Amino acid sequence: MKALLFLLCVPLVAWADPATVLRATELKAEPASDAATVAQLSESTRVDALERKGGWTRVKSGSAQGWVKMLALRYDGPGETKRGDTGIAQAFNVARTGASGTQVTTGVRGLDEDQLAKAQPNAAELAKLGRFAADRAAATDYAAQGKLSAVSVPYPKP
Amino acid sequence: MTRAFILFASLAVAVPAHAQFKLPDLNVNRLLDTAKNLGKAVHEPTESEEIAIGNDVAARLLGAAPLVADARVQQYVNRVGRWLALQSERPDLPWHFGVLEAPQVNAFAVPGGTIFITRGLLARMTSEAELAGALSHEIAHVVKKHHLKAIQKGALASLSADAAGSALNNVNPQARAKLISFGTELYSRGLDKGDEFEADRLGVVIAARGGYDAYGLPGVLQTLQAMNASDSALALMFKTHPSPAERLDALGRMQAVLDAYSGQPQLAERFVAETKPAR
Repeated sequence: MKALLFLLCVPLVAWADPATVLRATELKAEPASDAATVAQLSESTRVDALERKGGWTRVKSGSAQGWVKMLALRYDGPGETKRGDTGIAQAFNVARTGASGTQVTTGVRGLDEDQLAKAQPNAAELAKLGRFAADRAAATDYAAQGKLSAVSVPYPKP
Repeated sequence: MTRAFILFASLAVAVPAHAQFKLPDLNVNRLLDTAKNLGKAVHEPTESEEIAIGNDVAARLLGAAPLVADARVQQYVNRVGRWLALQSERPDLPWHFGVLEAPQVNAFAVPGGTIFITRGLLARMTSEAELAGALSHEIAHVVKKHHLKAIQKGALASLSADAAGSALNNVNPQARAKLISFGTELYSRGLDKGDEFEADRLGVVIAARGGYDAYGLPGVLQTLQAMNASDSALALMFKTHPSPAERLDALGRMQAVLDAYSGQPQLAERFVAETKPAR
Protein backbone atom coordinates (compact mmCIF):
# COMPACT_ATOMS: atom_id res chain seq x y z
CA MET A 1 0.00 0.00 0.00
CA LYS A 2 2.68 2.44 0.99
CA ALA A 3 4.72 1.59 -2.06
CA LEU A 4 1.69 2.16 -4.21
CA LEU A 5 0.97 5.52 -2.67
CA PHE A 6 4.56 6.46 -3.12
CA LEU A 7 4.44 5.57 -6.79
CA LEU A 8 1.32 7.65 -7.24
CA CYS A 9 2.89 10.66 -5.61
CA VAL A 10 5.99 10.80 -7.75
CA PRO A 11 5.44 13.42 -10.41
CA LEU A 12 5.84 11.80 -13.79
CA VAL A 13 7.62 14.88 -14.98
CA ALA A 14 10.40 13.52 -12.85
CA TRP A 15 13.37 14.11 -14.90
CA ALA A 16 15.16 13.00 -17.03
CA ASP A 17 12.65 12.55 -19.80
CA PRO A 18 13.90 11.35 -23.15
CA ALA A 19 13.09 13.82 -25.89
CA THR A 20 13.96 14.61 -29.48
CA VAL A 21 15.03 17.94 -30.91
CA LEU A 22 12.39 18.89 -33.49
CA ARG A 23 14.62 21.20 -35.51
CA ALA A 24 18.26 22.26 -35.57
CA THR A 25 18.76 24.38 -32.47
CA GLU A 26 21.45 25.98 -30.35
CA LEU A 27 22.31 24.59 -26.95
CA LYS A 28 22.69 27.63 -24.72
CA ALA A 29 24.70 28.05 -21.53
CA GLU A 30 21.81 29.93 -19.88
CA PRO A 31 18.04 30.04 -20.52
CA ALA A 32 18.27 33.13 -22.73
CA SER A 33 18.60 33.78 -26.46
CA ASP A 34 21.66 35.98 -25.97
CA ALA A 35 23.50 33.44 -23.82
CA ALA A 36 26.64 31.72 -25.11
CA THR A 37 26.10 28.79 -27.44
CA VAL A 38 27.48 25.56 -25.98
CA ALA A 39 26.80 23.36 -28.98
CA GLN A 40 24.73 23.06 -32.13
CA LEU A 41 22.10 20.34 -31.97
CA SER A 42 20.95 19.01 -35.31
CA GLU A 43 17.39 17.97 -36.04
CA SER A 44 16.35 14.69 -34.39
CA THR A 45 19.14 14.77 -31.81
CA ARG A 46 18.14 12.68 -28.81
CA VAL A 47 18.45 14.44 -25.47
CA ASP A 48 17.40 13.99 -21.86
CA ALA A 49 15.25 16.81 -20.52
CA LEU A 50 16.20 17.76 -16.98
CA GLU A 51 14.37 20.92 -15.97
CA ARG A 52 11.99 23.57 -17.33
CA LYS A 53 12.27 27.30 -16.77
CA GLY A 54 9.98 29.73 -18.55
CA GLY A 55 10.26 28.95 -22.23
CA TRP A 56 13.47 26.96 -21.81
CA THR A 57 14.36 23.40 -20.97
CA ARG A 58 17.71 22.24 -19.63
CA VAL A 59 18.87 19.16 -21.50
CA LYS A 60 21.75 16.76 -21.57
CA SER A 61 23.07 15.68 -24.92
CA GLY A 62 25.97 13.27 -24.70
CA SER A 63 28.48 15.02 -22.49
CA ALA A 64 27.06 18.48 -23.17
CA GLN A 65 24.46 20.21 -21.01
CA GLY A 66 22.61 23.41 -21.66
CA TRP A 67 19.28 25.06 -22.45
CA VAL A 68 17.10 24.78 -25.55
CA LYS A 69 13.80 26.45 -26.39
CA MET A 70 11.07 24.44 -24.75
CA LEU A 71 8.97 24.10 -27.89
CA ALA A 72 11.96 22.75 -29.83
CA LEU A 73 11.53 19.47 -27.93
CA ARG A 74 9.19 16.60 -28.46
CA TYR A 75 8.86 14.01 -25.70
CA ASP A 76 9.03 10.37 -26.62
CA GLY A 77 6.86 9.04 -23.88
CA PRO A 78 8.14 6.96 -21.03
CA GLY A 79 11.46 5.23 -20.84
CA GLU A 80 11.99 1.85 -19.20
CA THR A 81 11.96 3.26 -15.69
CA LYS A 82 8.49 4.72 -15.69
CA ARG A 83 6.44 2.31 -17.62
CA GLY A 84 3.17 1.65 -15.92
CA ASP A 85 -0.40 2.53 -15.69
CA THR A 86 -1.32 5.06 -13.04
CA GLY A 87 -5.05 4.62 -13.62
CA ILE A 88 -4.82 0.86 -13.06
CA ALA A 89 -2.63 1.44 -10.04
CA GLN A 90 -5.36 3.60 -8.59
CA ALA A 91 -8.06 1.10 -9.46
CA PHE A 92 -6.18 -1.56 -7.52
CA ASN A 93 -5.85 0.72 -4.54
CA VAL A 94 -7.09 -1.38 -1.67
CA ALA A 95 -8.05 -0.94 1.93
CA ARG A 96 -8.21 -3.42 4.75
CA THR A 97 -11.46 -3.72 6.55
CA GLY A 98 -11.22 -3.65 10.33
CA ALA A 99 -11.47 -7.05 12.00
CA SER A 100 -11.39 -9.44 9.11
CA GLY A 101 -8.39 -7.88 7.46
CA THR A 102 -9.88 -8.85 4.13
CA GLN A 103 -8.72 -6.78 1.24
CA VAL A 104 -11.47 -5.01 -0.58
CA THR A 105 -11.32 -2.40 -3.23
CA THR A 106 -12.32 0.99 -1.94
CA GLY A 107 -14.73 1.50 -4.80
CA VAL A 108 -12.61 4.16 -6.39
CA ARG A 109 -14.75 6.21 -8.66
CA GLY A 110 -13.49 8.39 -11.31
CA LEU A 111 -13.99 10.17 -14.50
CA ASP A 112 -13.93 7.61 -17.24
CA GLU A 113 -16.63 7.14 -19.86
CA ASP A 114 -18.45 4.51 -17.89
CA GLN A 115 -18.60 6.58 -14.71
CA LEU A 116 -19.79 9.63 -16.59
CA ALA A 117 -22.58 7.65 -18.23
CA LYS A 118 -23.76 6.28 -14.88
CA ALA A 119 -23.31 9.42 -12.80
CA GLN A 120 -26.23 10.55 -10.68
CA PRO A 121 -26.43 14.17 -9.49
CA ASN A 122 -24.67 14.85 -6.20
CA ALA A 123 -26.39 17.89 -4.71
CA ALA A 124 -24.36 17.81 -1.49
CA GLU A 125 -21.08 18.10 -3.36
CA LEU A 126 -22.49 20.87 -5.53
CA ALA A 127 -23.42 22.81 -2.39
CA LYS A 128 -19.93 22.22 -1.02
CA LEU A 129 -18.43 23.52 -4.27
CA GLY A 130 -20.35 26.76 -3.77
CA ARG A 131 -18.82 27.31 -0.35
CA PHE A 132 -15.25 27.45 -1.66
CA ALA A 133 -15.83 30.25 -4.17
CA ALA A 134 -13.51 33.27 -4.06
CA ASP A 135 -14.92 36.72 -4.67
CA ARG A 136 -13.20 39.41 -6.70
CA ALA A 137 -11.51 40.97 -3.68
CA ALA A 138 -10.15 37.69 -2.32
CA ALA A 139 -8.82 36.68 -5.72
CA THR A 140 -7.20 40.06 -6.29
CA ASP A 141 -5.56 40.08 -2.85
CA TYR A 142 -4.19 36.62 -3.39
CA ALA A 143 -2.76 37.57 -6.78
CA ALA A 144 -1.08 40.59 -5.19
CA GLN A 145 0.45 38.36 -2.50
CA GLY A 146 2.03 36.37 -5.31
CA LYS A 147 3.26 39.58 -6.94
CA LEU A 148 1.11 38.95 -9.99
CA SER A 149 0.18 42.04 -11.99
CA ALA A 150 -2.56 42.02 -14.59
CA VAL A 151 -1.36 42.99 -18.05
CA SER A 152 -3.29 43.73 -21.21
CA VAL A 153 -2.75 41.08 -23.88
CA PRO A 154 -4.94 40.80 -26.99
CA TYR A 155 -6.15 37.40 -28.22
CA PRO A 156 -4.28 36.12 -31.26
CA LYS A 157 -6.02 35.74 -34.60
CA PRO A 158 -6.98 32.13 -35.41
CA MET B 1 -38.77 29.61 -16.12
CA THR B 2 -38.27 31.24 -19.43
CA ARG B 3 -39.48 30.29 -22.83
CA ALA B 4 -36.12 29.30 -24.22
CA PHE B 5 -35.68 26.84 -21.45
CA ILE B 6 -39.13 25.41 -21.96
CA LEU B 7 -38.40 24.87 -25.62
CA PHE B 8 -34.97 23.57 -24.86
CA ALA B 9 -36.25 21.05 -22.36
CA SER B 10 -39.41 20.03 -24.12
CA LEU B 11 -37.68 19.36 -27.42
CA ALA B 12 -36.40 16.24 -25.84
CA VAL B 13 -39.69 14.46 -25.31
CA ALA B 14 -40.72 14.10 -28.90
CA VAL B 15 -38.24 11.56 -30.19
CA PRO B 16 -37.73 7.90 -29.35
CA ALA B 17 -35.61 7.43 -26.28
CA HIS B 18 -32.61 6.04 -28.05
CA ALA B 19 -32.56 8.63 -30.77
CA GLN B 20 -32.40 11.49 -28.36
CA PHE B 21 -29.31 13.62 -28.50
CA LYS B 22 -27.26 10.96 -30.21
CA LEU B 23 -25.06 12.68 -32.71
CA PRO B 24 -24.66 9.59 -34.92
CA ASP B 25 -28.34 9.97 -35.77
CA LEU B 26 -27.61 13.31 -37.35
CA ASN B 27 -29.31 13.75 -40.61
CA VAL B 28 -28.39 16.69 -42.77
CA ASN B 29 -31.88 17.22 -44.14
CA ARG B 30 -33.37 17.14 -40.73
CA LEU B 31 -30.71 19.53 -39.53
CA LEU B 32 -31.50 21.98 -42.29
CA ASP B 33 -35.20 21.55 -41.64
CA THR B 34 -34.64 22.15 -37.97
CA ALA B 35 -32.60 25.22 -38.59
CA LYS B 36 -35.12 26.59 -41.06
CA ASN B 37 -38.08 26.01 -38.81
CA LEU B 38 -36.59 26.82 -35.49
CA GLY B 39 -34.12 29.48 -36.38
CA LYS B 40 -36.49 32.21 -35.44
CA ALA B 41 -38.14 30.53 -32.51
CA VAL B 42 -35.04 29.61 -30.53
CA HIS B 43 -32.96 32.29 -28.97
CA GLU B 44 -29.63 31.87 -27.27
CA PRO B 45 -30.01 30.65 -23.70
CA THR B 46 -29.84 33.58 -21.31
CA GLU B 47 -27.05 33.76 -18.78
CA SER B 48 -29.28 32.51 -15.98
CA GLU B 49 -30.41 29.57 -18.13
CA GLU B 50 -26.78 28.81 -18.90
CA ILE B 51 -25.93 28.88 -15.20
CA ALA B 52 -28.88 26.60 -14.35
CA ILE B 53 -27.85 24.07 -17.02
CA GLY B 54 -24.29 24.30 -15.77
CA ASN B 55 -25.33 23.59 -12.18
CA ASP B 56 -27.20 20.48 -13.24
CA VAL B 57 -24.27 19.22 -15.33
CA ALA B 58 -21.80 20.03 -12.54
CA ALA B 59 -23.92 18.02 -10.07
CA ARG B 60 -23.68 15.02 -12.41
CA LEU B 61 -19.92 15.34 -12.78
CA LEU B 62 -19.67 15.52 -8.99
CA GLY B 63 -21.73 12.33 -8.92
CA ALA B 64 -18.97 10.63 -10.91
CA ALA B 65 -16.19 12.05 -8.74
CA PRO B 66 -16.62 14.11 -5.55
CA LEU B 67 -14.44 17.02 -4.48
CA VAL B 68 -11.08 16.29 -2.88
CA ALA B 69 -11.84 16.58 0.84
CA ASP B 70 -9.42 19.39 1.58
CA ALA B 71 -10.72 22.93 2.01
CA ARG B 72 -7.30 24.52 1.61
CA VAL B 73 -6.64 23.14 -1.85
CA GLN B 74 -10.20 23.93 -2.97
CA GLN B 75 -9.88 27.54 -1.77
CA TYR B 76 -6.51 27.78 -3.46
CA VAL B 77 -7.78 26.80 -6.91
CA ASN B 78 -10.73 29.15 -6.45
CA ARG B 79 -8.46 32.11 -5.71
CA VAL B 80 -6.20 31.35 -8.65
CA GLY B 81 -9.09 30.56 -10.96
CA ARG B 82 -11.18 33.59 -10.07
CA TRP B 83 -8.21 35.89 -10.63
CA LEU B 84 -7.81 34.42 -14.11
CA ALA B 85 -11.54 34.64 -14.82
CA LEU B 86 -11.34 38.34 -13.92
CA GLN B 87 -8.98 38.72 -16.88
CA SER B 88 -11.58 37.22 -19.24
CA GLU B 89 -14.56 38.76 -21.03
CA ARG B 90 -16.97 37.19 -18.51
CA PRO B 91 -15.50 38.29 -15.17
CA ASP B 92 -18.77 38.38 -13.27
CA LEU B 93 -20.13 34.88 -13.81
CA PRO B 94 -20.54 32.86 -10.59
CA TRP B 95 -17.17 31.18 -11.10
CA HIS B 96 -16.50 28.00 -9.16
CA PHE B 97 -13.39 25.87 -9.30
CA GLY B 98 -13.09 22.38 -7.88
CA VAL B 99 -10.48 19.66 -7.56
CA LEU B 100 -12.13 16.29 -8.21
CA GLU B 101 -11.14 13.11 -6.42
CA ALA B 102 -10.20 11.14 -9.52
CA PRO B 103 -6.95 9.53 -10.64
CA GLN B 104 -7.61 10.37 -14.26
CA VAL B 105 -5.74 13.29 -15.83
CA ASN B 106 -8.33 15.76 -17.02
CA ALA B 107 -10.07 19.09 -16.59
CA PHE B 108 -13.59 20.16 -17.45
CA ALA B 109 -15.37 23.41 -18.21
CA VAL B 110 -19.08 23.55 -17.45
CA PRO B 111 -21.39 26.24 -18.85
CA GLY B 112 -21.99 29.16 -16.52
CA GLY B 113 -18.51 29.24 -14.98
CA THR B 114 -17.78 25.96 -13.20
CA ILE B 115 -14.33 24.49 -13.81
CA PHE B 116 -13.07 21.14 -12.56
CA ILE B 117 -9.57 19.76 -12.50
CA THR B 118 -8.78 16.22 -11.39
CA ARG B 119 -6.38 15.30 -8.63
CA GLY B 120 -4.58 13.22 -11.29
CA LEU B 121 -3.79 16.32 -13.31
CA LEU B 122 -3.01 18.55 -10.33
CA ALA B 123 -0.53 15.95 -9.06
CA ARG B 124 1.46 16.17 -12.28
CA MET B 125 1.81 19.93 -12.26
CA THR B 126 4.82 21.72 -10.87
CA SER B 127 3.83 25.38 -10.58
CA GLU B 128 0.95 27.81 -10.26
CA ALA B 129 1.73 29.00 -13.80
CA GLU B 130 0.95 25.48 -15.06
CA LEU B 131 -2.27 25.39 -13.02
CA ALA B 132 -3.11 28.82 -14.43
CA GLY B 133 -2.49 27.55 -17.95
CA ALA B 134 -4.88 24.62 -17.53
CA LEU B 135 -7.57 26.68 -15.75
CA SER B 136 -7.30 29.40 -18.40
CA HIS B 137 -7.88 26.84 -21.14
CA GLU B 138 -11.10 25.83 -19.37
CA ILE B 139 -12.11 29.45 -18.71
CA ALA B 140 -11.73 30.07 -22.45
CA HIS B 141 -14.25 27.28 -23.14
CA VAL B 142 -16.75 29.08 -20.89
CA VAL B 143 -16.00 32.49 -22.40
CA LYS B 144 -16.63 31.06 -25.88
CA LYS B 145 -19.61 28.97 -24.67
CA HIS B 146 -18.21 25.92 -26.44
CA HIS B 147 -20.07 23.35 -24.33
CA LEU B 148 -23.29 25.35 -24.17
CA LYS B 149 -23.36 25.59 -27.95
CA ALA B 150 -22.65 21.87 -28.32
CA ILE B 151 -25.50 21.03 -25.92
CA GLN B 152 -27.82 23.34 -27.84
CA LYS B 153 -26.78 21.84 -31.16
CA GLY B 154 -27.24 18.31 -29.90
CA ALA B 155 -30.73 19.08 -28.63
CA LEU B 156 -31.89 20.74 -31.79
CA ALA B 157 -30.35 18.24 -34.17
CA SER B 158 -32.17 15.29 -32.66
CA LEU B 159 -35.66 16.66 -33.14
CA SER B 160 -38.03 17.16 -36.02
CA ALA B 161 -39.33 20.64 -36.61
CA ASP B 162 -42.89 19.43 -35.98
CA ALA B 163 -41.98 17.93 -32.67
CA ALA B 164 -40.18 21.05 -31.64
CA GLY B 165 -43.07 23.23 -32.65
CA SER B 166 -45.63 21.27 -30.66
CA ALA B 167 -43.26 20.94 -27.74
CA LEU B 168 -43.07 24.67 -27.07
CA ASN B 169 -45.46 24.69 -24.14
CA ASN B 170 -44.46 21.40 -22.68
CA VAL B 171 -42.27 21.37 -19.61
CA ASN B 172 -41.07 17.99 -18.54
CA PRO B 173 -38.57 17.05 -15.83
CA GLN B 174 -37.73 13.88 -17.75
CA ALA B 175 -36.79 15.98 -20.75
CA ARG B 176 -34.60 18.10 -18.54
CA ALA B 177 -32.89 15.00 -17.22
CA LYS B 178 -32.19 13.85 -20.77
CA LEU B 179 -30.78 17.23 -21.66
CA ILE B 180 -28.45 17.08 -18.69
CA SER B 181 -27.46 13.52 -19.53
CA PHE B 182 -26.52 14.71 -22.97
CA GLY B 183 -24.60 17.59 -21.44
CA THR B 184 -22.72 15.18 -19.18
CA GLU B 185 -21.94 12.70 -21.96
CA LEU B 186 -20.43 15.56 -23.90
CA TYR B 187 -17.41 15.16 -21.63
CA SER B 188 -17.01 11.62 -22.96
CA ARG B 189 -17.42 12.62 -26.59
CA GLY B 190 -15.45 15.83 -26.59
CA LEU B 191 -15.86 19.10 -28.43
CA ASP B 192 -14.79 19.91 -31.97
CA LYS B 193 -11.02 19.88 -32.16
CA GLY B 194 -11.17 23.50 -33.31
CA ASP B 195 -12.74 24.49 -30.00
CA GLU B 196 -9.83 22.86 -28.16
CA PHE B 197 -7.23 24.67 -30.23
CA GLU B 198 -9.08 27.94 -29.68
CA ALA B 199 -9.19 27.33 -25.92
CA ASP B 200 -5.42 26.72 -25.99
CA ARG B 201 -4.75 30.00 -27.81
CA LEU B 202 -7.05 32.02 -25.57
CA GLY B 203 -5.90 30.17 -22.47
CA VAL B 204 -2.28 31.16 -23.01
CA VAL B 205 -3.41 34.78 -23.29
CA ILE B 206 -5.66 34.69 -20.21
CA ALA B 207 -2.82 33.25 -18.09
CA ALA B 208 -0.44 35.90 -19.42
CA ARG B 209 -3.00 38.60 -18.62
CA GLY B 210 -3.10 37.28 -15.08
CA GLY B 211 0.62 37.93 -14.80
CA TYR B 212 1.81 34.30 -15.07
CA ASP B 213 4.64 32.83 -17.12
CA ALA B 214 2.81 32.15 -20.39
CA TYR B 215 4.56 28.80 -20.80
CA GLY B 216 2.38 27.16 -18.14
CA LEU B 217 -0.04 25.52 -20.58
CA PRO B 218 2.69 24.32 -22.98
CA GLY B 219 4.46 22.94 -19.90
CA VAL B 220 1.40 20.88 -18.94
CA LEU B 221 1.07 19.61 -22.52
CA GLN B 222 4.70 18.51 -22.54
CA THR B 223 4.12 16.66 -19.27
CA LEU B 224 1.22 14.81 -20.91
CA GLN B 225 3.38 14.11 -23.94
CA ALA B 226 6.04 12.57 -21.73
CA MET B 227 3.54 10.22 -20.07
CA ASN B 228 2.79 6.73 -21.28
CA ALA B 229 0.18 7.35 -23.97
CA SER B 230 -1.54 4.06 -23.16
CA ASP B 231 -1.88 4.93 -19.46
CA SER B 232 -5.58 4.48 -18.71
CA ALA B 233 -5.50 7.68 -16.63
CA LEU B 234 -5.10 9.52 -19.93
CA ALA B 235 -7.65 7.59 -21.99
CA LEU B 236 -10.56 10.00 -21.77
CA MET B 237 -8.41 13.11 -22.10
CA PHE B 238 -6.68 11.74 -25.19
CA LYS B 239 -9.96 10.58 -26.71
CA THR B 240 -11.55 14.00 -26.33
CA HIS B 241 -8.62 16.27 -27.21
CA PRO B 242 -6.13 16.60 -30.04
CA SER B 243 -2.79 14.99 -29.18
CA PRO B 244 -0.34 17.00 -27.06
CA ALA B 245 2.00 17.07 -30.08
CA GLU B 246 -0.66 18.69 -32.29
CA ARG B 247 -1.57 21.18 -29.57
CA LEU B 248 2.07 22.09 -28.95
CA ASP B 249 2.64 22.50 -32.70
CA ALA B 250 -0.34 24.88 -32.84
CA LEU B 251 0.92 26.85 -29.84
CA GLY B 252 4.28 27.11 -31.58
CA ARG B 253 2.65 29.70 -33.79
CA MET B 254 2.23 31.86 -30.67
CA GLN B 255 5.92 31.85 -29.86
CA ALA B 256 6.09 35.66 -29.86
CA VAL B 257 3.33 35.99 -27.26
CA LEU B 258 4.75 33.13 -25.20
CA ASP B 259 8.21 34.67 -25.15
CA ALA B 260 6.94 38.17 -24.39
CA TYR B 261 5.38 36.88 -21.15
CA SER B 262 7.76 34.06 -20.24
CA GLY B 263 9.51 36.15 -17.61
CA GLN B 264 6.41 36.49 -15.43
CA PRO B 265 6.13 34.55 -12.15
CA GLN B 266 5.65 30.78 -12.03
CA LEU B 267 5.00 30.57 -8.29
CA ALA B 268 6.22 26.99 -8.01
CA GLU B 269 6.75 27.18 -4.25
CA ARG B 270 3.30 28.55 -3.48
CA PHE B 271 1.77 25.88 -5.69
CA VAL B 272 3.60 23.06 -3.95
CA ALA B 273 2.75 24.40 -0.48
CA GLU B 274 -0.94 24.89 -1.20
CA THR B 275 -1.61 21.68 -3.10
CA LYS B 276 0.36 19.26 -0.94
CA PRO B 277 -2.70 17.45 0.47
CA ALA B 278 -3.99 16.79 -3.04
CA ARG B 279 -0.78 15.52 -4.56
